Amino acid sequence: MSARGRAIAAVALRSGASAAWRSGLGLRPRAERRRAVARALRLACEALGPTFIKLGQLASVRPDLVTPEMVFELERLQDRVPAVPVDAIRDVIRRELGAAPEHLFASFDPEPIATASIAQVHEATLAAPYRSVNGRLLGAGARVAVKVVRPGVARLIADDLAVARRWAERAERMRWLARWGPNALLREFESSLARELDLRVEGRVGDRFAFDFADDPLVMVPAVVWTHTTRSVLTSEFVDGWLLSELGEAERAGIDARALATHGAEVFMRQVLVFGRYHADLHPANLIVTRDGRIGYIDFGIAGRTTPPQREAIAQVLVATAYGDADRALRASRALGLEVPEAVEPALRRGVARLMRAHLARSPADVRGFVTGFLGLLAEHRIAIPEGYGMLVKALVTVEGVARAIDPDIDLIEASKPFTTRLVAEQLLRPERLRERLPAALRAALAELMA
Amino acid sequence: MRDVLRFLAAWALVHESADEGWRAAVTRGAGLSPGDLERGPDDFVDGLAALVDAEKERLKHELAADGAGVAPTEGASDRRDADLTAALEAVRFDLAELRGRIESLQTSVDALHAERDD
Repeated sequence: MSARGRAIAAVALRSGASAAWRSGLGLRPRAERRRAVARALRLACEALGPTFIKLGQLASVRPDLVTPEMVFELERLQDRVPAVPVDAIRDVIRRELGAAPEHLFASFDPEPIATASIAQVHEATLAAPYRSVNGRLLGAGARVAVKVVRPGVARLIADDLAVARRWAERAERMRWLARWGPNALLREFESSLARELDLRVEGRVGDRFAFDFADDPLVMVPAVVWTHTTRSVLTSEFVDGWLLSELGEAERAGIDARALATHGAEVFMRQVLVFGRYHADLHPANLIVTRDGRIGYIDFGIAGRTTPPQREAIAQVLVATAYGDADRALRASRALGLEVPEAVEPALRRGVARLMRAHLARSPADVRGFVTGFLGLLAEHRIAIPEGYGMLVKALVTVEGVARAIDPDIDLIEASKPFTTRLVAEQLLRPERLRERLPAALRAALAELMA
Repeated sequence: MRDVLRFLAAWALVHESADEGWRAAVTRGAGLSPGDLERGPDDFVDGLAALVDAEKERLKHELAADGAGVAPTEGASDRRDADLTAALEAVRFDLAELRGRIESLQTSVDALHAERDD
């Protein structure tokens, strides 16, 4: 076993022992045991560095793969690491962009403004004007954020993944682990990590997001400076404003936080239900309230996609959930790949209705409580959660969390009702849908009249 | 025979009631202000009825114009213009995105040249 493999094994053993101790050697109630395991896993990821922090973050948006306790524990992963010395960053920029930052930019701040396990960000100013993909002109001297992949991180990730691959091979041969499909899972994580390491992907997602919301004056997406962007360097417009933790200051400056929170919820609905592309990692650090009262979206590293039939089904699920119709919500969920065996359907429907009454029929609605209960219910009935469904459900909970950080009283369900209702009405009125449904509706009407 | 007549009378009555209900909804909907649609399901249905009625009138004009060989109405032409503008914007974006990719690739090529020359 390599030195790195031994180090990973040691952390895994220590975490396993800690989880066993905290769960009373397996004697504590199930929920408590799961929480202990989730906590141990989070601490292990933090101890093992970038690869595992990223894997943990990717798992935290996938309730289809890990338990709800794990999802909510892994989203707390601390991604703060010491800064890389500026000379090493300068070397990456010189190698990637062909010249030192002092020659490429009018100014370059050697002090990073953000550091994380994969990349760190420095502020700079443009030396020459640049017209962005969306047509906006950034003048010479415009402030930009230069995100640089930490040197050596790609090598470290490749080494860690090589170790993980060997372990996945072994796990695949053990029956009790094979049902999780460790090889396939690892391949999926590898491809997600590769996308995150290529900063051009993030830039393109951001540009597309800006194009989608070009008609929305309250949405701000930093323009990418492609002449200063490569696989390991992403240069984009600087977003100046307040983090969600500094909203008190924003409100004192006259920003209407409540209106922004409601609008943010609608922006998310438009991403999922209209454009079919959504920011799947909307935690508070990726949102900035700008000085002129807009919502600035940054870091498009994890994005989700929905197909037109999925969008239609998601709208139906959301409207049914908003109006407390468990039966309809489950029916529409089927179109999203949720396979409910006939034998458990009545129990599941009763369970969902109970959760709706407990969490959504009150004001403000508690989407997180509902989703946690719902995922638990699916696990209890051993119902597999389709990938896109899980990611979306998690994104919805994150959006509620973010909206609540802006306005603690916001009711996400109420805020999204007008939009989703309008959308479902539009779907129902489409000629092809009318043609498809009209004969059945007429037959039903005639049957009713003849009865 | 009487049953058939009764059925047709019931059908006519349903039709008449629905028609009256529809007209009332259109009238109420026409009186709504922007934003009222979100007040609740009733206002939403009324507003929708008014929108459908306006669209129906446009369709009537278009069909009449088509029959008489007249140029398309203002509404149809506006819609076509809007569709064309959206399509143009989408192509323009794709082109600009491509330009972005090329700029990024050119930077990488220049950087490799610079590294070789060092």
